[in-house]
Amino acid sequence: MDFIFLVFSSFSLLADPVNFTYVILGFVIGTIFAAIPGLTATLAMALLLPLTYSLSVETALMACASIYMAGMCGGSITATTINIPGAPSSMMTALDGYPMQLQGKGAQALGHAALGSMFGGAVGALLLIAVAPFVAELSLLVKTTGKFSLLAFALIVVVIAQRGRIPQAGLAACIGLMLATVGLDAMEPITRFTYGYSSLTAGIDLMPVIIGTFAIAEVLTQASARTDISAATAAADKVKIRRRDFLPPLSDIRKIGFGCYFKSCLIGYFVGTLPGAGGSMGSFLAYTEAVRTSDEPETFGKGNPKGIAASESANNAVCGGAMVPMLTFGIPGDPITAIMLGVLVINGIQPGPQLMADQAGLIAPMLAALLFSAVVLIPLTLWLIGPYFIKIVSVRKDVLYAVIALLAVVGSYVATYSTFQMFMALGMGVLAFYLRRNGFPVITMLLGYILGPNLEEFLRRSLALSNGDPTTFFTNPDSLFFVALTLVFVYFLVLRKPTKVPAVIKAK
Amino acid sequence: MLLNRQMIFLYVTLAVSVGYLVTALSLGAPITESGLTPAFFPILVGSAAIVFCSVLIVQALRAEPETAPANQTRSYTHVWVVVAIFFYILAFKPMGYFLSSGLFVFALILLFSKFEKLVFKAIISIAIVGVAFVMFQQLFGVRLPTLWG
Repeated sequence: MDFIFLVFSSFSLLADPVNFTYVILGFVIGTIFAAIPGLTATLAMALLLPLTYSLSVETALMACASIYMAGMCGGSITATTINIPGAPSSMMTALDGYPMQLQGKGAQALGHAALGSMFGGAVGALLLIAVAPFVAELSLLVKTTGKFSLLAFALIVVVIAQRGRIPQAGLAACIGLMLATVGLDAMEPITRFTYGYSSLTAGIDLMPVIIGTFAIAEVLTQASARTDISAATAAADKVKIRRRDFLPPLSDIRKIGFGCYFKSCLIGYFVGTLPGAGGSMGSFLAYTEAVRTSDEPETFGKGNPKGIAASESANNAVCGGAMVPMLTFGIPGDPITAIMLGVLVINGIQPGPQLMADQAGLIAPMLAALLFSAVVLIPLTLWLIGPYFIKIVSVRKDVLYAVIALLAVVGSYVATYSTFQMFMALGMGVLAFYLRRNGFPVITMLLGYILGPNLEEFLRRSLALSNGDPTTFFTNPDSLFFVALTLVFVYFLVLRKPTKVPAVIKAK
Repeated sequence: MLLNRQMIFLYVTLAVSVGYLVTALSLGAPITESGLTPAFFPILVGSAAIVFCSVLIVQALRAEPETAPANQTRSYTHVWVVVAIFFYILAFKPMGYFLSSGLFVFALILLFSKFEKLVFKAIISIAIVGVAFVMFQQLFGVRLPTLWG
């Protein structure tokens, strides 16, 4: 209960002009990056990471929270108006948003998307605020063997969640784990895989890994693809959005029903708690559920606002869910929470079970900013600048990518003032680019890199405590729980046949 | 098909994984009387990487070769972007932020667009570098290398 009061008292920090400016700026930047096809809020966050050195941790985390929330709803703008989802999490929104646009109800579709996002973001944030302290207390009960099993569970789930490309995900996770083993051993004074380079003794820094993986790799991907945006620009020029049309009719909202909004929020929230699942899976499952339980499933894909509401409620609720494992166990649920974890690590804060107990004062403002972004900034941004957002797709790509590359490369210099980190970021960028190009999910590499050091340490400590007896992982109740949970996920994600996808989604 | 872009990537990854495993093995015995050594985990990871690589190579060899459309032209812009970033990093300290960044941004704008309106693009590059300098140095207090020290 104390934590809930702390979060609500943290709203006063938003009255500070510096915090307020960064939260607003973060939200606007997040929305712009999410709205432009090819760019993501993850990229915006990666570019912001070097700047967190000069900000207070609270301010940096508050800005991250608003970028995260904006990133989940910003993609719906282009998904609805020109049928090009700005972010993967808005793919399902396009299924009904664009047909509404064709029917001349584009602004109304955006209003439905904003309402769904607002509801989903708020429910997700409230659930996070209510649940996280209890999960944090429970996490304190997990001992060394249980911690190893939990980390192994997270890594295995993120690999097997990549259905159809599990070997690729497994190899990417191994590459991440390899990167994590470079440098000084955590338990003995031995350096590994440094090949004589003293710069590698401290290991590979998180900053170049994140900047390389998300910023430089993105620039290389865009350079390689050279997508023709003239069609998108021409389509955007034709779109006319009037502010007064944003408000969705009450009859539509009644028809969608509170149950649909709330169920989609719960789906999104729980999907968010799973490592590697993310907003796209949340919105996909919520949309599928909305179609399955609808009395008129044939209307989906033809401009049914319920599809937009389900998709957007779910993907914004993912924000709250994904932060639960990050804050309580130090396990990021998706790339954005991985970068948030980076902000904590850069500032010398160790994420994990003790975080909520020791640093609640730092975490509470971030959750307040998350809730503020959902309830106030989503509708306000749409109302104030919604009619102009569609023009974002017309922005010059040559200038945009030159700016991103400059910020990324100079940003990687900021951490240590050494060009070595810049080369490291370039190397990571090239690696991530080729992984992406060959169908390897980079999130599994990132999770392997982030979880690797603790995974190794807990494995060695567990076996040292049990005199080398590997059955310790099955005889300790906390460890056994996570082993059983892993088997459950393996059954549902690998062994069991996938559930039937509604015809409307298949067709699209 | 034994050699295509994806296969080359897998062969390179396999070679790196084997090199990693060999280095891990050279760290010493994975298990001693006192427990697991620093070599144990890397040996485990290296072995897993080789298994995954082998599975992917076998899968790729068994798969039907994909035929690329005849009129599809390959773009090498990404290679030039890598080259530009590499030389930018090399020049960053010796040439200072302004000159190196100006040339870098100008080069990238040209790579992402057509080779025309060069003066206009040069002016945009200068403006971007100036704004980024103000943002990094003045707003966030980051010391960037300049020719005047």
